[in-house]
Amino acid sequence: MAQAAPVAPPDLELTYEMPEQATLLSDAWRRLRRNRIALVGAVIIAVLFVTALISIVWTPFPVWLQAVGPTYQPPSGAHPLGLDQAGRDILSRIMGGALITIEVGIGSAIIVSLIGIPLGLLAGFYRGKVDTTISFFINIWYGIPDLLVALILVFVLSDALHLIPRGVFVIIIAFSLTRWMDVARLVRGQSLALREREFVEAARMAGARDFYLLVRHIFPNALGPIIVQATFAIPAAVLFEAFLSFLGLGLPSPTPSWGAMAADGYHGMDFAPHIVLAPTIALSLTLMAFNWLGDGLRDAFDPRMRR
Amino acid sequence: MRGTLLYIGQRLVLIAITTVLVSSIVFLLLHQIPGNAFLNETRQSEETLRAELHHYGLDLPLPQQYANWVTGVLHGNLGESLVNRGVLITPLLVRETSVSATVGFFALLITIGLGLILGVIAALRQNTWVDYLASSTAVIGYSVPSFVIAIFGLLIFGHYLYVWTGGTFFYQPGWGKLEQIPVPALALGLPYASYVARLTRASMLETIRTDYVRTAWAKGLKARVVVFRHALRNALIPVVTILGPLITGIITGSVVIENIFGIPGLGKEFVTSILARDYNIVIGVFTFYAALVGLANLAVDVIYPVLDPRIRY
Repeated sequence: MAQAAPVAPPDLELTYEMPEQATLLSDAWRRLRRNRIALVGAVIIAVLFVTALISIVWTPFPVWLQAVGPTYQPPSGAHPLGLDQAGRDILSRIMGGALITIEVGIGSAIIVSLIGIPLGLLAGFYRGKVDTTISFFINIWYGIPDLLVALILVFVLSDALHLIPRGVFVIIIAFSLTRWMDVARLVRGQSLALREREFVEAARMAGARDFYLLVRHIFPNALGPIIVQATFAIPAAVLFEAFLSFLGLGLPSPTPSWGAMAADGYHGMDFAPHIVLAPTIALSLTLMAFNWLGDGLRDAFDPRMRR
Repeated sequence: MRGTLLYIGQRLVLIAITTVLVSSIVFLLLHQIPGNAFLNETRQSEETLRAELHHYGLDLPLPQQYANWVTGVLHGNLGESLVNRGVLITPLLVRETSVSATVGFFALLITIGLGLILGVIAALRQNTWVDYLASSTAVIGYSVPSFVIAIFGLLIFGHYLYVWTGGTFFYQPGWGKLEQIPVPALALGLPYASYVARLTRASMLETIRTDYVRTAWAKGLKARVVVFRHALRNALIPVVTILGPLITGIITGSVVIENIFGIPGLGKEFVTSILARDYNIVIGVFTFYAALVGLANLAVDVIYPVLDPRIRY
């Protein structure tokens, strides 16, 4: 019988480096930090937030105050972005518009998630009839021209029935009621895949109830994609608000909505282009920033998606 | 072939059902509004009001009105305008749809053409300045909303071009001439073109690294043949999947574009009639839109297996 080869004594000097404990968020953050374009987006969004917060307590002029100078005045030292057709300070109104934008964007993302997440979780977890029903509604909803339904909803809810005053809230509601499917479909897919995983099975074996499984096991593991989807809901909602206000069907007149401001300036575009330029550039930058951040988050939360 | 026809037939029935269902919601929503469509007309006696209501069938109970409306829709009759009495909605909307479809068609050409060209060039010249230029334009392009592009288009082609050329060559908003198509179509198509470019670049990058493309190069085929016949055809598959949402986007996006450029299409009618509270037309336009979105998605699903023979119904 051959002698067993002498086994080298274990190298006790060698220290094993424990991988740093990484939570979902810290891991994603580390990857996001390396993504320069997403960071630019995040910085723009931070500026937007700060501007919005400042506008609550201070703007150079009240957003509604007319005739602070000659109407259609181009940018000057006292009014860096000029005055609009009613002699209102455009910088102040852009600042006020930032707050509206944030309210609409964040509010919609929250409501969309509140509708979509439970529906998606239930459909994916219980499958069968529950899934068939929910998926049926998701598919029907995808077939409708969402923007137009939302437009009619705003009109009916606030102008005709006077249920909700014309304002940010009714826009959030109309948007969420027509665009909840993206989140629902995504969560459904996640929940469908996660329910088969071993850790869920193990928890079920340990006697966990359905509700506990959904809330403590499936939902947290689907959190990454949900955050990404919610981030993409923000620019969509912001665009929707601007679109409505531009058509004169969104926020009522003195509200400094960027879409409404673009519509104001649109009529005097030939001789005073600064009125239309300020809100449209602000709007485009905001949408761009959220799209960049969303793209970055998607790569950060799902490294396999990277190309 | 027979399977395809059967599939199309099934889908058409489904589209009809969806259209009626979805516009029913709008019908019922708009009929919840208290008062009636003629409240604003002050110089009206009790009798003429009753005659008006009777003319439109608005004095019937709601279920009866709804039944009448559904029967009408299934017969292709969307009723009569509440504001302009005697104007039938279906022929009006058919006329306006042809206008919207013209703009939409050119917008789609721009979207797909420009998107594919930019995407393919960026992929073939990956990590050169051409790629960076094309990719960054695409990222900016799909974030700028179409109405902003429309405003800039109007400013540049309508105003500055007028000033520079002394009023000889410029874009005039409106409809009826061939030269009035490109600017609105560009505004409508550009955001989606960027999206298509991004997607094409990504899928093209994947395809040109596959073995069969390398084989094609090795056989000494011409670059044109390799790129277009071998690589692009497969790279197109993921692009086709977004055609459905894309067409929906162009259809709904036309609402604001038509209003900015003064194009007498469905979108302009929609906003005009909402503001004029001509509910019959609002419901009618909505029904048209729902049907159009359904048909567009069906068209995409029919094209799909042509490009990718692995997919069958």
